[in-house]
Amino acid sequence: MTHHSLLLILSQCVIDGRHVESEQTVRTLLGEGASPMSVLDDGLLPGMAVVGQRFRDGEMFLPQVLVSARAMKTAMAVLEPLLAASNVEPKGTVLIGTVKGDVHDIGKNLVSVMLQGNGYRVVDIGTQNPVEKYLAAYEQHRPDVVGLSALLTTTMMYMPTVIAGFRSRGIPVPVIVGGAPVTQRFAGEIGADGYAKNAVDAVDLVNRLLKRT
Amino acid sequence: MTPRERVLAAMRREPVDTVPLMCQMSIGHMLQQYRCSPADFWHDVDTFADGLVRLRELYGFDGILVSLHGHDPSWRGGIASRRMTEEYEEIVWKNGDATHYLFDDLPEHIAARPRELPPVGEVSRNDLPAALDVIPVSQGLKFFIHPAHRFDIFRTLHDRTGGMYSLHGEITSPFDYYLDFVGYQEGLIGMIDAPETVAMIMGHYAELIEELAVAMCGEGIDAIKVSSPYAGSSFISPEFYAAFVLPHEGRIARAVRAQGTEIYTHTCGAVNDRLELMFDAGVSGIECLDPEPLGDVDLADAFRRIGHRGFIKGNIDSVTVLLQGTETEIEADVRRRIETGRAHPGFILSTACSIAPRVKREHVRLLRTLVDRYGGT
Repeated sequence: MTHHSLLLILSQCVIDGRHVESEQTVRTLLGEGASPMSVLDDGLLPGMAVVGQRFRDGEMFLPQVLVSARAMKTAMAVLEPLLAASNVEPKGTVLIGTVKGDVHDIGKNLVSVMLQGNGYRVVDIGTQNPVEKYLAAYEQHRPDVVGLSALLTTTMMYMPTVIAGFRSRGIPVPVIVGGAPVTQRFAGEIGADGYAKNAVDAVDLVNRLLKRT
Repeated sequence: MTPRERVLAAMRREPVDTVPLMCQMSIGHMLQQYRCSPADFWHDVDTFADGLVRLRELYGFDGILVSLHGHDPSWRGGIASRRMTEEYEEIVWKNGDATHYLFDDLPEHIAARPRELPPVGEVSRNDLPAALDVIPVSQGLKFFIHPAHRFDIFRTLHDRTGGMYSLHGEITSPFDYYLDFVGYQEGLIGMIDAPETVAMIMGHYAELIEELAVAMCGEGIDAIKVSSPYAGSSFISPEFYAAFVLPHEGRIARAVRAQGTEIYTHTCGAVNDRLELMFDAGVSGIECLDPEPLGDVDLADAFRRIGHRGFIKGNIDSVTVLLQGTETEIEADVRRRIETGRAHPGFILSTACSIAPRVKREHVRLLRTLVDRYGGT
C-alpha cells in the first residue's frame, strides 16, 4: 500500500475515532519510511480538520469528537518523541485554566483535548486560578495564547481581572475566553482578544490568532 | 384565579386570566437576596423553606420550585469546625472533607479523598448505588438525601403557603446521574465505546429516580421538573438523545403522570433541533428553551412546532437580558415574550435557566409588573 493510501486510512481512523487502528497505521507508515512530519500534516491533521467541520455543520457531536481526539492523541504519543528529536515544534502553546472561584473543568478539558488533537501544546493549570497563577504560568511556559474558562455568571466577572493583569504588565499575549454564560458581547466588553462558543471554535480561534491552519 | 390555579391551568393548556409567572432561582441569587448563613441555607430545611417563601413574596411568583429536598435534620452533628471568612463560610467535616459555602453561588466541596471514577466499560450492576441518596447538583457537588426526611421540605412549605401557590419538586435525569457517576468526558466517550453498559447504568438510575419521583408525587406537589442540563446539542446528537435519554426519561414521565402530577424537562443551551423529541418522552411540558446567544430557541417557532403537545415554560435569557440588560432592554425583551406566549394556551413566563446570582432585585421584580401590564388574556 502506498504512503498516500495509508495516510488516507489514518485520516479516516481519526474521523471515525478508531484509536487502536490509528496507532497501528502510524507505526506502519513510520516503518515504511514516512516522515513523522508527513504523518502529522498529511494524515492526522486533515482528519481532525474534517472532524471540526462536521462538528460545525451539526453532523458530529461531542462524543464523536472526543473519540476522534483520542485517536489523534494515541497517534501523537507515537509521533511526539520523533517530532521532538527532529526539532519539529508544536503549532503553538496554549495556557488554559478556569478562573478563580470556579471549580468546573468540563469545558476547559474539552478545549484542551481539541487543541492537543490539533497539534498544539497545552499547559493546563486546572481550576480556581487567581491572576497571579496565570502570570506565573505565563512566565514559566511563554504560551502563544492564554485561555480563560468560567461556567458561572459570578466567576466570569473575574475574567477582566486576569486580562488586566496581563495588560498592566505590558504582556501582549492574546487572551481568549469561553464558558456557558460567556458571550461574544461580554468578551468584547472585557477586552478579550477572542471568544469561542465551543471547543472546536476554540481551535479555529487559536488558529486565526496565530495564523495557523 | 389563585396563583396555583393559574399555573395548573397553564400546565394543562387551559385558559388563564393572565400569564403565570414562575422562575427558578439559583442558590446564589437566593442567598444574595435572603442574606443568611449560606451553610444554614443549604442544609437547614426551615431556613431554606423560609427563603423560598419570602422570595416568592418579594417577586410575586405564582409558584415555588423546590430544587433541594431530603435535608438532614442532624447535619450539624457532622461538623468538626465552622468559621466565616470574607469570601465564604467554611465547614470542615469530621470525615476530613471541607465545604466552602459562598455568599453568591453554589458551595464548593473539597473531598479529603477524591472519588476514583470507574472505567465505563467495566461498571457492573454491583458497582451502582442501591438507593438514591444524593442529588448531583453540579460538578463535584452533591446534596445528600436523608432517607427518613426526603420530603420534609414540601410539608414545611405547605404549612407556610396554605395551598395558594403551585409547588413543584425537582429530580435529576438518569443521564445526569450517569455522567456524574463515571465522569463527564469518560461518560460521553462511553456512549460510543460501551453503549450497552451505559444503558444498564442509566436504566438502574431510572429505576431509582422513578421510585423517588412517584413518592414525591404523594407530597401534594403540582409538578416535577426533570433537570437534564447536558442533553442538549452542545453535548449529544438527536440520535443519542433518542437512544440514551428518551427511554429513561420516558419511563419516569409515564410513572409521574400516572399519579396525576405534571412533569416537565429542563435542558440548557441549544435544544432547537430536539424540541419534538423532548416531548416524545411523554412529558407535560418543557422548560428553559434558551434563546440566542446562550441557546437557539425562538419562542414563536417553538409554539408553532410543539405548542399543541404541552406547555412551555421559559424563555427569558437570565444572563444577557436580566443580568446585563438595562430596565428598558428587559421590558422590551420580556414584553415580546409575554405577547408571543399569551397567544397560546400553555405558557408560563420564566427565565430560561435559573435567575443568575447577581441579577438585581429590581430586574426580577420588573417581571411581575410586566406580566400585570401585558399578560392579561
